[in-house]
Formats: sequence, structure tokens, C-alpha cells
Amino acid sequence: MADYIVDETVDITDVVCPITFVKVKVALEELDVGQILRIRMNDGEPVQNVPRSCKEEGQQVLKLLCNGDGTYDLIVKKLED
Amino acid sequence: MAFSNEQLERYARHIILKEIGVKGQKKLLNGSVLIIGAGGLGAPAAMYLAAAGVGTIGIVDADVVDLSNLQRQIIHAMKDIDKPKVISAKETMEEMNPDVKVNAIQAFVSSENILELIEPYDFIIDGTDNFPAKFLINDACVMAKKPFSHAGIIRFKGQLMTYVPGQGPCYRCVFHEPPPKNAVPTCKEAGVVGAMGGVIGSLQAMEAIKYLTGVGDLLAGRLMTYDAIKMEFRTIKLPHDTSTCPVCGENPTITELIDYEQAACELK
Amino acid sequence: MNIIVAGVKKEVPENTTVKELIYLENVETPDYVTVSINDEFLMKAQQETTVLREGDNVEFLYFMGGGC
Repeated sequence: MADYIVDETVDITDVVCPITFVKVKVALEELDVGQILRIRMNDGEPVQNVPRSCKEEGQQVLKLLCNGDGTYDLIVKKLED
Repeated sequence: MAFSNEQLERYARHIILKEIGVKGQKKLLNGSVLIIGAGGLGAPAAMYLAAAGVGTIGIVDADVVDLSNLQRQIIHAMKDIDKPKVISAKETMEEMNPDVKVNAIQAFVSSENILELIEPYDFIIDGTDNFPAKFLINDACVMAKKPFSHAGIIRFKGQLMTYVPGQGPCYRCVFHEPPPKNAVPTCKEAGVVGAMGGVIGSLQAMEAIKYLTGVGDLLAGRLMTYDAIKMEFRTIKLPHDTSTCPVCGENPTITELIDYEQAACELK
Repeated sequence: MNIIVAGVKKEVPENTTVKELIYLENVETPDYVTVSINDEFLMKAQQETTVLREGDNVEFLYFMGGGC
């Protein structure tokens, strides 16, 4: 059981850096503080960079889940507007 | 206003900046800047602001493009010779970024038109090459409460300062009145390295971007100087007492705009 | 005595006036330069009578009109 409820999902498996994080930022913009975003991303560069970039923006990274198909789900809680 | 995929890609490097982000980019797209002078300073400033996605850019200049301009005025090219500079500039900016609306105004600024010209814009860039215009722009911006960036370049040197209403001295606080004709060399007679316009004009664009997005500290109350020979930037703190200034002070004596006479050799 | 001119420490004779300093420093347009001392503007008329003091921080602000 997940201890959080996902409010919105954004899929960035179809884009490459830096548009990956750009799409995440746009999605976060739409959320209220305290809401939770699930980001579906590819292995490799996105998994290395997007969680770090989210932290640098002051957001809280809750979990990184391996989907077993080469993609990951990053769960981020919006802390800053 | 939602961004198109093309806009997300175009502005990606702004949007990923914590200080700008989606909100800042929207501020730029909703912002407006008037550039007076499409020359050495105005050309790079206009290009960077167009590339940045400043939604409305006005550009004022009366001249046509001359071969001798191309050493530094990078917004114009060979094909533009004899074309009005503002038309050439508008074409370059629109080719760079279709998000930008460019208002090309082919005119000299004077006491007759300056207030009307600056009125619709959020920020003004002074890229003119003569003191009568610089004092006119200063006085008009003080009277209309508009922020503006002053700059000047000559030989290997440049300077700039930003006026923000209520936040420090204006250009006239520092320089009082235009020097007599030919008392101070101009870049036409003394020369200037083309890249000087790039350095200082880009800094003016930076000030406009910072003003529109509300990011960082503006160059208000400070004069920045650049000496390319020594490769040295300095920021000189300006006196903050502006109470006795004839235009921005407590009891202004200059309450109407002045058309100072232009040195004859500067007019074509 | 020691003063600071445009950010650089300089030694100048005692009782040097601002006007003298303008010439010592070879200011290109001595009649058209704004002087500030310790972050305050000095009126042009006072350049001749203002004597510099130990530790003064002098800045020359030059007209720069080019943009063409």
C-alpha cells in the first residue's frame, strides 16, 4: 500500500534532456503545495538527473519505483511554489 | 496561457532555471521593452531580448543601415544596407523568434514624441549615441516613472547604470547636463571595438530580463564600468542623495523636456 | 598621504586638491568629469577648493556617449 495519493501524472519517456525536466516543472506548476506528482521516466539520464533537479528546486522526492519495463516512477511532493 | 511544445523546447533553458521557471518565462512573454537606437548597443540587446521571448519589443531609430555599421551592429547584414535600421532589426528579430511582436519606429526621439513612445513599455533601453538623446531619455523616464538602462561605449571602454524610480540616482544626478558640442569624444570620431557593444548591450538586455522577471539586484544606485584593455569590471557606488537633482530631486527645476542641440558632425 | 582613486591605493602629496588630482591622474576630459568622494558627489565649483584627506575614496565618473 502506498502511503501517498498521486494527484497528477506526467510522462516524460517520450522526450530527452532538457525537455524532461521542463515538462516536470510545467506539471509541478499546475499543482498546489502539498500535492503529489508521479513522473514516469526512462532509465539512464532522466533517472540520474530529474530527482536531483527536483530536490534542487526545493521539492520533496518521496520514492523512485522501478517498473520493470525500463521505466521508473518518481514520486514528488510539491513543497515550493 | 499554456506553452506549446515548441515553446517548451525553445525556452527550456530558461524554464529549468529555478529563478525564472515557467512563471518567469510567462512574465517575459507578457513583458515589453523599448530599445532606443538600433546601433552598437541596441543591436545585441534587441537580439537577446527577442531570443529570450520578450513578448513586445519596440525599436526606435531614424537611420538607414550603412556599411560602416556592420563592424558592430550584428542585427544588420550586407543585404540590409540602405534599409531603415528599424526594419532590418525587426526582420532579424522576427526570424529569430515568431513569439515576439516588434514595433519598428523610424524616428529621432525628441521632446515631442518621447513620452508617447515610452508610455506603453515596461522597461526602456537607451542605446543612443549622443548626449542630447541620453538626457532626453533620462528626463522623460523620470517624469513618466519608467525604469531604464543607460549605457555608453567608446574605444575599449563602456559604462552602464539602471534607473528605477525611487531607487537611487538618475543619469542627470550623476552627469548634470550634456557637455558642450565636441567637448567629449564620441565613438564616431574616437572609434570603438565592435565587441564592446556586445558586452555592454548584452548587460542592458540582462537588466531588462531581470527587471521583467523580478530576479536579482539591478544596477540601480551603481555605475558599472568596463575597461577591456585592463580586462576589468568595476561597480562604483553612486551617492544616494538625489534630493537636489533638477529632475528627480525634491524640488525639480526641470519640469519640461529639453531638446539640446546636437553636435553638427553627429547629424547626417 | 594615501588615498584611493578608482579603487586603487595611491600616494599623493599632502594638501592635494581635487583639481590637482584630476591633472595628476591625466583625466582625458578634465572639465567634464563627475567626481565623488566617499560616495558623495562633489560640485564642480568645489574641485579647486576641496583638499583631499588621508583615506579618501575618490571616483571619477566619465561621460560616455557612444552607442552608435
